[in-house]
Amino acid sequence: MQWVETEKIVRFNEVDEWGMAWYGHYMAWFEVGRLSLLRRFDLLPRQMVDMGYIAPVINLQCDFKSPVGSGDRIVIRTTVAKPEVAALTFKFEILLKENRTLIAQGETTQVLLTTNKKMIYRLSGEFEKRIRNLVDYCSQK
Amino acid sequence: MKKNKRNNELEEIVNNSEAMCEFLKKMIIETLKLENVTVGEIDSYVPLFRKGLGLDSIDALELVVAIEKIFNVIIEDEEVGKTAFASVDALSNFIQKKYKQG
Repeated sequence: MQWVETEKIVRFNEVDEWGMAWYGHYMAWFEVGRLSLLRRFDLLPRQMVDMGYIAPVINLQCDFKSPVGSGDRIVIRTTVAKPEVAALTFKFEILLKENRTLIAQGETTQVLLTTNKKMIYRLSGEFEKRIRNLVDYCSQK
Repeated sequence: MKKNKRNNELEEIVNNSEAMCEFLKKMIIETLKLENVTVGEIDSYVPLFRKGLGLDSIDALELVVAIEKIFNVIIEDEEVGKTAFASVDALSNFIQKKYKQG
């Protein structure tokens, strides 16, 4: 499985009263990872819209393994699971940069809709081609 | 040879509405790994989604893949799905029609 890595620094305003990054922010960090992966395959949300599609998240799961604090450097790793149906499942790992400690791991599932909110059961055309490139890249050993 | 026999068996099922409904109910239970649901408990005229059998959009995607694999019949999107998944009976009619065309 091929992962794409993105770095970021935990911001002061992402930390709660207990000095730990607040759990909700992890979802925004997943989004950073998702976008840096999608960018490589011309599948950014606006590019999807240009092709006539949107991809809302219908499921989200996250395990929090170890806390991080303000100023910590983290690495967001992202990949896509090989799909069996017309949906996209992204997998994420967040690591502490200095020693690669696993901070959190999770996944999201997105279904594919046309911009007029009609769910598609099968991919076709340019959209299918770009998604196939993304999946092929992520499935590499 | 084996493949032909399987095709003949499938054709027999497709040509018989009652056998087809039974087959589809089994397919739904197996594909979606429904627990505590038996073929006998599924009403052929009840909607598959939401208030009916209670299936969701990911279930629809899995059924679409199973139907394509077994019958080589394609359900492209929600709009076609609205007709096809209206009930087991509707799905049977939909597949019977498409199977003969294909």
